[in-house]
Amino acid sequence: MKKHRFVCIDCPLSCEVALTEEDGKILEIKNNRCKKGEEYAIAEFTNPVRILTTTVRVEGGILPVVPVRSKGHIPKKLIRECMRELAKVEANAPIKCGDMIYENILNTGIYIVSSRDLQEDEA
Amino acid sequence: MEDAKLKRKIEKLLNKEFSGIEVSIDDGIAHLSGELNSWNEVVELGHKVGKLEVEEVVNLVTAKEVKAERREKPGLKLPKKIYDPTLPKSADVVIIGGGVTGCFIARELSRYNLDIALLEKECDIGEGGTKSNSAQIHTGIGEHSGTLKKELCAKSWPLYEKISEELDVPYKKDGLLVVLTKDTLPKVPSFIANFVSRTIIAHVIKSKAKKVGDEPRIVKKEELMEMEPNLTDRALVAVLMPNYGIICPHRLTEALAENAVQNGASIFLDTEVIGISPNGEMKKVITTRGEIEAKFIVNAAGVYADKIAEMAGAKEFTIHPRKGSTLLFDKGVGDYVNHQISEMKLPQDPHTKGGAVLKTVDENINWGPTAIETADREDTSVTAEEIQSILKKYGSIIPNFSTNSLIAYFSGVRAPTYKEDFYIKPSKKVRGLINVAGIQSPGLTAAPLIAKMVADILKNGGLEMVEKESFNPIRKKSTVFEDLTLEEKEKLVGENPLYGNVVCRCEHVTEGEILDAIRSPIPALNVDAIKRRTRAGMGRCQGGFCGPRVAEILAREFDIPLEKVTKDGGGSELFVGKTKVSLMEGK
Amino acid sequence: MIDVDVAVIGGGPAGLAAALSAYRNGAKNVWLLERNPELGGILPQCIHDGFGNFIFKEMLTGPEYAQRYIDEVKKTGITVKLNTMVLEMGPERLIAVNPKDGLLDIKAKAIILAMGCRERTRPQILIPGYRPAGIYTAGVAQRYINMEGVMPGKKVVILGSGDVGLIMARRFTLEGAKVEGVYEIMSNPGGLTRNIVQCLNDYDIPLHLSHTIVNIKGKKRVEEVTVAQVDSQMTPIKSTKRDISCDTLLLSVGLIPENELSKMADVAMDPITGGPVVDEAMETSVSGIFACGNVAHVHDLVDDVSKAGETAGKGAAEHISDKIKKRKVPVIVKGGRNIRYVVPQIIRNEDFDKRITFYLRVNDVEEDVKLVLLSGEKLLYKRKENVVKPPEMVRLTLLSKFLENVGNELTIEAQK
Ligand SMILES: Cc1cc2nc3c(=O)[nH]c(=O)nc-3n(C[C@H](O)[C@H](O)[C@H](O)COP(=O)(O)OP(=O)(O)OC[C@H]3O[C@@H](n4cnc5c(N)ncnc54)[C@H](O)[C@@H]3O)c2cc1C
Ligand SMILES: Cc1cc2nc3c(=O)[nH]c(=O)nc-3n(C[C@H](O)[C@H](O)[C@H](O)COP(=O)(O)OP(=O)(O)OC[C@H]3O[C@@H](n4cnc5c(N)ncnc54)[C@H](O)[C@@H]3O)c2cc1C
Ligand code: SF4
Repeated sequence: MKKHRFVCIDCPLSCEVALTEEDGKILEIKNNRCKKGEEYAIAEFTNPVRILTTTVRVEGGILPVVPVRSKGHIPKKLIRECMRELAKVEANAPIKCGDMIYENILNTGIYIVSSRDLQEDEA
Repeated sequence: MEDAKLKRKIEKLLNKEFSGIEVSIDDGIAHLSGELNSWNEVVELGHKVGKLEVEEVVNLVTAKEVKAERREKPGLKLPKKIYDPTLPKSADVVIIGGGVTGCFIARELSRYNLDIALLEKECDIGEGGTKSNSAQIHTGIGEHSGTLKKELCAKSWPLYEKISEELDVPYKKDGLLVVLTKDTLPKVPSFIANFVSRTIIAHVIKSKAKKVGDEPRIVKKEELMEMEPNLTDRALVAVLMPNYGIICPHRLTEALAENAVQNGASIFLDTEVIGISPNGEMKKVITTRGEIEAKFIVNAAGVYADKIAEMAGAKEFTIHPRKGSTLLFDKGVGDYVNHQISEMKLPQDPHTKGGAVLKTVDENINWGPTAIETADREDTSVTAEEIQSILKKYGSIIPNFSTNSLIAYFSGVRAPTYKEDFYIKPSKKVRGLINVAGIQSPGLTAAPLIAKMVADILKNGGLEMVEKESFNPIRKKSTVFEDLTLEEKEKLVGENPLYGNVVCRCEHVTEGEILDAIRSPIPALNVDAIKRRTRAGMGRCQGGFCGPRVAEILAREFDIPLEKVTKDGGGSELFVGKTKVSLMEGK
Repeated sequence: MIDVDVAVIGGGPAGLAAALSAYRNGAKNVWLLERNPELGGILPQCIHDGFGNFIFKEMLTGPEYAQRYIDEVKKTGITVKLNTMVLEMGPERLIAVNPKDGLLDIKAKAIILAMGCRERTRPQILIPGYRPAGIYTAGVAQRYINMEGVMPGKKVVILGSGDVGLIMARRFTLEGAKVEGVYEIMSNPGGLTRNIVQCLNDYDIPLHLSHTIVNIKGKKRVEEVTVAQVDSQMTPIKSTKRDISCDTLLLSVGLIPENELSKMADVAMDPITGGPVVDEAMETSVSGIFACGNVAHVHDLVDDVSKAGETAGKGAAEHISDKIKKRKVPVIVKGGRNIRYVVPQIIRNEDFDKRITFYLRVNDVEEDVKLVLLSGEKLLYKRKENVVKPPEMVRLTLLSKFLENVGNELTIEAQK
């Protein structure tokens, strides 16, 4: 039997979730204040995932970059690869919050969307 | 004293205290060479020789503990697009160094029908000692009698009323209180010390102050505490010197430079002198921007003055850098003191006036400076020890002062020679080279007369100088939004909306003012230059809020990418590049 | 002179919520003054997720969270003035300026302060050394990277483990920079645990507790910093000094409420929070001036900021319509054992709300404590906590009828 401790990051309460396993089989999960903590601990133990937030370059906007996020979790180990992929992207202003920026990144099935409105630069 | 006799006298000193050091005498100037262990010993040696009847000391002795001086490779630092004026082929006078000394000389000479070119290696004027001094207009009381420093200082301070008016720079006379306390004479039993302080020392100070033209008066404890309620109760008595003043050195230097340019002088920033070939009627000055021929060269290069003289082949003095650090507090606490205050402690350090608590023209409180000999001419670091010693020293003069309001600390390097006096004279070796060296404190105060002195030297040296009728001594400062009345603000924003865009939230500096600085006769080329001109970034948040906005404006105005914007010239770029780039390169 | 009902200074989450709430509670002519070219305060640069968990039950990014409130404001008749800096303030009067309208002289029946906070800078923590380029506060670097698209550096050392610093450690790393480590003078991290996990641990960035920076080297651009461990008196231990080569030093050493305007209007300040003393309606010592969000005390969660904005907005609306009834005896709220501060600091209204929320921070990390509310000896309320930490603000909400007979003093403390 092996014990693991995962600090849940799904909300600021930061529960220290305790997971007990034997040969990869999860026996018990405790110390989480809500269900999300359980899901989180399972994911951390099997395949840790994260939300990715970053920016992509913009052509013709009031700012040179627009913030984007993954619409769903991305395997942690693919995060850096995703960053390299997104570095190549250039979006065109105007952009609405929620606009699709990148479809199905690295075949994860996850979309990257913009997370703010960005107007065109009039000047 | 004749050279041979002088040499014997110095050798005696060397044999006794500094074995292995060689001396030679050339025309009254002592040349020292060899090696000692520490830098402090090198300085001590220089000072000891300087005390003898030498005219100056060239101290080339090295210290084992100090690595060979690192010099930056010369070369143009700014991207071309920003600032690229071409040097003229020739000038009557080339001034090297754009500190307060050089700028005052440029302005003084712009009264005459002369081609003047001032060359400054940094990307702004006033980046040397001029940028980080205490801003005091001294009266000369602190200088040893018989020195040129004292003479020029005592005659210069009365000129500042007029100068500040002509040039529209803030100047005020808060007066200096030299406070005698229970610790003034620490080694003497206290009842005697107190008595001596009140009866003798105060009167000695008073009579010294009179001699430099001040109108001093002795202030008894009760009145003293009324004048300065936050003063330590260790205070016994004080001498008030009402003519001690404060000026803004940045704004003074900027105004001088602008006024000189208005009157026909040319100023070249980012132009470093890297060689001088002094032969012939016209001397060639070689710079990072090309060459320029000059009838006369004025060397006002601050801590590098000896290097410049050496380039021309005139080893006549050595500068030994002495740095001074200062702490600066937020405006909000400005009402804590009403005068400049210093505590008299005997015996005094022979090479500094001891520092003071004072209030700048912008009502920031200022504590300092320290005085530390350093081998590095650009050592503007502030050490932990200095911070602690300043806090301790001044904290004991005005106790209970909330040091939380500290907003900045900085250090400046003084440029003394070993005679510890100004060295203003034509070179003995190179005709047409005028050295304006050793301009340590009170150099800011003495600058107007230093400039006059240089003009006289040039005249006597054969330069034909005709006063221009068109010379206009008046220079108006550009708009300061914060100082305007509501009605004036309203009118201004109506005329130009950019004055309605507040960029610096702490000092309320507007975009209009920043553009004024960028487009002024001496253009502000970087973030620090804008800060000095407009105060944007000088407040509580120290540029946290306005820094990004100022950088953007600079990039826009000079049409350069944000990554090329610098803090204070080449090498101090704010950014390493755009985001994403290194990811795309796959690194 | 322009007459308005409520003037809100600052269009961050606090100001947005306050303006909306004032409007919804019946104030007619509400003005929202913001010096930036867009609304949202600090949020547009906080592009990471973690906002709105309580209010929207979603993990939004900063800009998304702000957008929701901005969209709401657009639906109302609130007057929004962007690029508008408030320069001066007195009771019921504001002077502001913007390039379009010029100088605005505003008379307001109620004023809501929502100016947020600023970051502590180098002089406040006395790091010796040179003053080269390459020293940034974390929030400034955040703005550069996330909004201007430029990289302040490639090799970064971070001083202070506040949330912004932790977030930026990850952000720099993701953008291809090397973060050499985070150095924290205290023996506990300054930021939320979740940020330690997802920003440092995920990327193997070391966190050095009980460490500080004792020197900065480099004349033009940062070249090296010297770090050292500190002893229990926070004095650097000489023998532990070591140099770290880097081109950037990021400071994440605390936030200070931005109260220059409040001081102009003689609003009484709480020296511990750094913000005005407020009551449960977020009204300050000056009648008709309210304060909410980071200007009142530094929050770690935007949800609490919005909530406080709502309260202040309601208070302002009720102030105008004279609905607020003052208690005969106000109640002074005090922090007891292991409590650094409590907001509100005073309760002085009758029936302002059914519930009253106390926000508090502790001094030290403590496990298994009871948070108790005492009126003299009398225990009014208690709650068990597994652990309390200084970086994590604690919320205590209770029905205001609990406070009916409390007398004139209330103490909140952590009991073992
Ligand atoms: C800590 C401190 C406190 C002081 N307090 C006071 C005070 O209260 N009152 C007072 O009267 N005085 C004071 N002083 C003295 C005063 O600041 C100086 O005397 C004065 O600023 C010297 O000005 P400067 O122009 O001679 O030198 P600097 O300001 O050093 O100017 C020299 C210039 O020459 C340039 N230069 C150097 N080499 C080259 C080259 N090769 N090519 C081109 N340009 C070059 C430099 O970049 C520099 O800008 C203080 C000094 C210090 C350091
Ligand atoms: C980097 C960072 C990361 C954070 N991460 C999280 C997180 O993950 N989750 C979470 O829930 N919370 C987070 N927070 C906390 C939360 O975002 C803040 O507490 C909140 O934004 C504070 O809101 P505010 O409205 O009080 O201040 P601000 O957002 O700072 O807004 C104040 C506004 O007032 C304006 N203003 C100031 N003075 C004037 C004036 N004189 N005239 C006109 N306008 C003025 C300013 O321009 C600014 O827009 C984070 C905060 C920061 C700084
Ligand atoms: S388990 Fe639930 S309550 Fe605990 S940190 Fe995770 S999301 Fe928050």
